[in-house]
Amino acid sequence: MRAVSKRPRHNLRRSLIYLVLAVTSILMLVPFYWSVVTSFKLEQFVFTNPPQWWPNPLTLHNYLSVLTNIPFPRYFANSVFVALATTLGHVFFDTLAAYAFAKLTFPGRDRIFFIMLLALMVPFQVNLIPLYRIMAILHWTDSYAALIVPNLTSIFGIFLMRQFLLSIPNEMLDAARIDGCGEFGVFSRVVLPLALPGVATLVIFTFMNTWNDFLWPRIVLNSETLFTLPVGLAQLQMKNTSNQAQIMAGTVLTALPMILVFLFMQRQFIEGMTAGAVKE
Amino acid sequence: MNSKKFLFSLAIVLALVLSACAGATPTTQPQAPAQADTQAPAASQGEVTITVWDYYGEATPVKPLVEPFMKEYPNIKIKYEALDWDTTLEKLNVVMTGGTPPDVATVDMTWLPHFAALGAFSDLKPLSGGQLNGVAWQDAYTPGALSAITYNDQIVAALYDFDVYALYYRADLFEQKGLQPPKTWDELVTVAKQVAEGDKYLYEWDPDTFHGSQWIYENGGQLLSPDNTQVVFNSPEAVDAIQFYTDLLLKEKVAINWTTDQGERIQGLKDGRIAMFSDGPYNMGIMKSAAPEMAGQWKVALHPYSKQPGSYLGGTGLVIPSTSQQKEAAWKFIEYAMRMENQVGVFTYAGAAPALTAALESPEVNIEDPYFGGQKAFAVFLETMKTAKPFPYVRSWNDIDEAFTNAMQEVSLGQKSVKDALDEAAATSTDALNK
Amino acid sequence: MTSEQITIGKSGAPPGARPRWLKFIRKYYIAYLFIAVPLLSMIAFLYIPMIISFWWSLNDYSGLQAARFIGLGNYIELLTHDKVFTKSLVNTTLFVLMGMGIGPTLGLLTALLLNQKARFQTLFRTAYFLPVMTSLVVVATIWVMLYNQNGLFNTILVDLGLSRVGWLSDPRYSLFSVVIASVWQGFGFETVVFLAALQSIPKEFYEAAMIDGAGAMQRFWYITLPSLRPVIVFVYIIGIIGSYQVFDQVYVMTSGGPVYSTSTIVYYLFTKFRDLRLGYASAIAYILFAILVIFSYLQMRLSRER
Repeated sequence: MRAVSKRPRHNLRRSLIYLVLAVTSILMLVPFYWSVVTSFKLEQFVFTNPPQWWPNPLTLHNYLSVLTNIPFPRYFANSVFVALATTLGHVFFDTLAAYAFAKLTFPGRDRIFFIMLLALMVPFQVNLIPLYRIMAILHWTDSYAALIVPNLTSIFGIFLMRQFLLSIPNEMLDAARIDGCGEFGVFSRVVLPLALPGVATLVIFTFMNTWNDFLWPRIVLNSETLFTLPVGLAQLQMKNTSNQAQIMAGTVLTALPMILVFLFMQRQFIEGMTAGAVKE
Repeated sequence: MNSKKFLFSLAIVLALVLSACAGATPTTQPQAPAQADTQAPAASQGEVTITVWDYYGEATPVKPLVEPFMKEYPNIKIKYEALDWDTTLEKLNVVMTGGTPPDVATVDMTWLPHFAALGAFSDLKPLSGGQLNGVAWQDAYTPGALSAITYNDQIVAALYDFDVYALYYRADLFEQKGLQPPKTWDELVTVAKQVAEGDKYLYEWDPDTFHGSQWIYENGGQLLSPDNTQVVFNSPEAVDAIQFYTDLLLKEKVAINWTTDQGERIQGLKDGRIAMFSDGPYNMGIMKSAAPEMAGQWKVALHPYSKQPGSYLGGTGLVIPSTSQQKEAAWKFIEYAMRMENQVGVFTYAGAAPALTAALESPEVNIEDPYFGGQKAFAVFLETMKTAKPFPYVRSWNDIDEAFTNAMQEVSLGQKSVKDALDEAAATSTDALNK
Repeated sequence: MTSEQITIGKSGAPPGARPRWLKFIRKYYIAYLFIAVPLLSMIAFLYIPMIISFWWSLNDYSGLQAARFIGLGNYIELLTHDKVFTKSLVNTTLFVLMGMGIGPTLGLLTALLLNQKARFQTLFRTAYFLPVMTSLVVVATIWVMLYNQNGLFNTILVDLGLSRVGWLSDPRYSLFSVVIASVWQGFGFETVVFLAALQSIPKEFYEAAMIDGAGAMQRFWYITLPSLRPVIVFVYIIGIIGSYQVFDQVYVMTSGGPVYSTSTIVYYLFTKFRDLRLGYASAIAYILFAILVIFSYLQMRLSRER
């Protein structure tokens, strides 16, 4: 190991880092803490002075209300299904395309990439009505297809993966090609494993965006049986505008699955692959 | 190089073709406000399904009608969809322009101006044969209500619940101090000063057209000229009215500016920041469910005026989009909802005010309300409805509304004088009106 | 001649006998195959709607009545007569400057801190990323509660003896309040992206540099920053494109007010759509589009200098 003569300074630096991390994390968490705490409060204690940092009395009424007023399991299952399908699509198609843009040469590569990037620069509102009409023509309104198919791939994901893939040394790819791998083999055997932190990031973001997507599902879906969680919960909120505590309960329930996904993905990929990268 | 040009021109052609298809509306839609709608008789022998959109939410008077209606009309099936207020507006915009609209929808009367001007809703007169459940339209509604649902001599909506503004006041505080509910503006100032205590027990001030218009009407002013061609909310009477209203806030300091960051009004009622406010009958239901502990503390009265009583007139209407394919069946449902006994349901379920005059005067609705100290609260709202006016039905109403609201905000922030703010808003509105 | 001999796939015919386009396909078909699905999907679900709405922008169109062609009428109106549009443009630019000035910086700082392999890594990372995971609507709802006249922030101010602030109702502060909530929500995104990139930098680079005697600042400047360059470019391009389209927070928190102080380009566009002015709204979108295209093009050119 290294010389240990720097230990005192090393410790001070370490403690300082901990302190900064701790304080900023707490600041970041305050709004969440506040909303979680509020979700357990009775309505009249939401806006008090002094503010109630711990609910008194603590009540589960809001959660019960949310869970019984709407078919929560159904909405949850819908959200899971749509988010999973979309994420799988993204991981596969986006990374593949990103590889082509990052590591293959072909005519028009940069031009096509830039044109694809253009699609990000138009707000979704503008495409809403024409896209709805397209769905109507395809008879996909009020269906899972309308939620999944247009979202199987995105330039955001391609862009993200491209930037990660750019830093893979070309020599590794050439070595694999010389070994006789077709491009697809190079992709699956060399590129994908090396890009795992990037893929993990893509998974997190895609899942998250799909999970939270609200505008499009609300417009294109009519049947309650197909509603995703944000759509279902938003309607609940509209019914109960005066109950902040209940709104917070709905908010917490919506955010919870995403938090779990994030924790899971972190552990599986980022932690694991850090070790792998070091060995490299 | 040739292939590039070819592809390019192909793209242009494709774009033109597609946009022509998209620009022209895909389903049959009117080019101008709908003429008298004659609908080929729907397959009245077979079964039809109509879609009903309901934005009332949990306490809806519409949902309970579905089952009994289907029993009475076995060959009409209802596909019932509950949405919220925002979603209904957005979805209506999307599906009416390019999809399958519902056959019946609940719409807010403030949406009517631009929809009616664009011919979005069917004329209910021919569909109904000129009668609403055996009564002529003009006898079923007050004149104000009738004018609210009429556009270009067509009846574009069946007013289902109505909204007019009256004064809600803390009767218990008034009694303590030996005060009577104010009848004139000056009385309002006097009473407000005696009731207010620092920043508590104030009169609610709202920078919006709903309230601003009330004050303007009460001083003999208007928003637009009777033929809807000129903007007159900056006339001397109107400016005076808004000046008086603003003085409550900035000069006399007896009012509280109820911006969105004040939170929910019901909270303001409960914690005592508000002792007087102007709002509609729907609020009675909200108070009963969210503030039951305040029963007996509040009463309603005609809003004080300087020259004549006045209020905006709004509410919920039931409409049939003009591209609906099942208009006959849709009409049957609306007619059913407008039956006397079902209109009473508007009150019993939603706590709102049924628009049918007969229902309003019925004993089930016109009760001595224990929450309001035994007062017949609906009588006050019915009285107000007599002099209430709907917003003008012009295509650019939303622009005018925005300009006026902006002026109110500027005035409340002390950014401009009332006259300047209203003059500028009038100029913007005239621009919009004449486009 | 030589390129034809190295062509992937079976050869055997004498050079020059194969048509050029076939060779073209042989050489590049894999690449085009890889990008086929995204390309087709985007054409069907993005570009076609864009072309349609662009056509609308050249018309006076309500969706319910026939469109009336007016050429550049909407654009001229927007750029010369529409004060609210101008205000929205200014507001949005301020929002982007503030947001993209603060956000990525915080993101990089926290990523560097987290990369130090402190304990409780997961906990800290989750804290920063939690807001990103929650939808903007949810975040805005929480912050509306915090910004309430009697909400947490004002209560703290009052307890400290200061007076209340109209975080959302005072036009001097409203935009800034929206920025704070947005940065709080968004910088975790940059943290995660930077962190993943930092962890892909091979340890050997740092070890070699330390052997050469490089200090921490030098290591940062000569190894970290250059290695992060592609990701920084990504963050800025995506961030600016995204920030210029800010909408959800405004919709939930302020509805563009008061007195248009928080009106943004996309929010204004939304109000026009709500009023069934489809042509006008589309024109707003394409002005925004033009701004973003020019901007991205410049950014990509700058980042190409490697």
